[in-house]
Amino acid sequence: MHELSMADAIVKTAVDVAEKNDAQQIIEVTIEIGGLALLNPEQLKFMVGVLSEDTLLEGAEIKVEEIPIEIKCESCNYEGPAGSDELDHYMPIVKCPECEEVSIKIIKGRECNVKNIKIEKEDEDA
Amino acid sequence: MHKIAEVEIQHDIMLANKKLAKRNQKIFDKADVFTVDVLGAIGSGKTSLIENLIEKIDYKIGVIAGDVISRFDAGRFEKYNVPVVGLNTGKECHLDAHLVEHALGDLPLGDIELLFIENVGNLICPVDFDLGAHIRMVVISVSEGDDTVEKHPLIFKDADIVIINKVDIAEAVGADENKMFEDVKKLNPDAVVIKSSLKTGEGLDEIIENIKKFMNE
Ligand SMILES: Nc1nc2c(ncn2[C@@H]2O[C@H](COP(=O)(O)OP(=O)(O)OP(=O)(O)O)[C@@H](O)[C@H]2O)c(=O)[nH]1
Ligand SMILES: [Mg+2]
Ligand SMILES: [Zn+2]
Ligand SMILES: [Zn+2]
Ligand SMILES: [Zn+2]
Ligand SMILES: [Zn+2]
Repeated sequence: MHELSMADAIVKTAVDVAEKNDAQQIIEVTIEIGGLALLNPEQLKFMVGVLSEDTLLEGAEIKVEEIPIEIKCESCNYEGPAGSDELDHYMPIVKCPECEEVSIKIIKGRECNVKNIKIEKEDEDA
Repeated sequence: MHKIAEVEIQHDIMLANKKLAKRNQKIFDKADVFTVDVLGAIGSGKTSLIENLIEKIDYKIGVIAGDVISRFDAGRFEKYNVPVVGLNTGKECHLDAHLVEHALGDLPLGDIELLFIENVGNLICPVDFDLGAHIRMVVISVSEGDDTVEKHPLIFKDADIVIINKVDIAEAVGADENKMFEDVKKLNPDAVVIKSSLKTGEGLDEIIENIKKFMNE
């Protein structure tokens, strides 16, 4: 259940940035989760919602986007999107989609980013 | 009047832990302590393996015992007269670098050459949290079933040493330890994979040899 501690960090980050930008309210937050991060997006969304009560984030729309997995192959130097196989969910981290060799390193897909927020603020020019 | 503004943040939540992990590793390096993060399934033999290593390795050993309630495993290590710190994770399913940093304050690092950190028994959550250890040793056993590796690939992708334990009961539980071995090798050709039984002592010397090899790299 570490969605809870991640959600806590997400709420703190979003609220902190909103305050620094003199927001009155956050309308929307976008979170990016790597395809390999061991987090369940639905649970994460739910917990961000719960933890945002009584903060600037309360009531905001919570969007979750997936960051695709990228690998680097140590055999042929291919760098880019991992392979995929509907029948074999762990294939992407097993072999290179170019040369099929197995010495690959994961370079993307394990993140959990707070990407951006949409905020409502007082219009200073008005 | 109100206006709507979009603010870019691009802040990786995982980064906070990674930074703390780096700091922990600096502390280990400065004190000349080689640190092993011991991960694995519940009941796979993590504590038993560390107990065996304390008895058999001729280095000064220390242990951080992390668990939902740590006093059970910590109590087992105390018998061996080595420095032990228990870390309670409570509801959390994994140790993180911040918790480990707290434990470091309670350990006599100057008297330790080899530190084992027993992580919470869980093949999923600890994977995302680097603790600052020099190597990751994953302990699984045949009693979890021989499809364990396929079901939880990521933990094996990151491992330096993988122990397939309890081979003495493989037949009884109907698991093929060689399939598990091959599955790990396929995912992570660089990993050192060792079949062991802490009941018969099989594989223990090979485990010790390899830990020492990593220490001297
Ligand atoms: N047959 C057999 N039993 C073993 C072996 N290794 C450990 N055990 C037994 O497995 C049980 C669990 O071992 P532990 O060392 O407590 O396992 P653990 O991974 O530390 O467990 P948690 O910390 O609770 O996740 C104990 O009863 C051990 O005696 C082995 O190689 N063969
Ligand atoms: Mg244990
Ligand atoms: Zn969890
Ligand atoms: Zn967790
Ligand atoms: Zn390749
Ligand atoms: Zn603290």
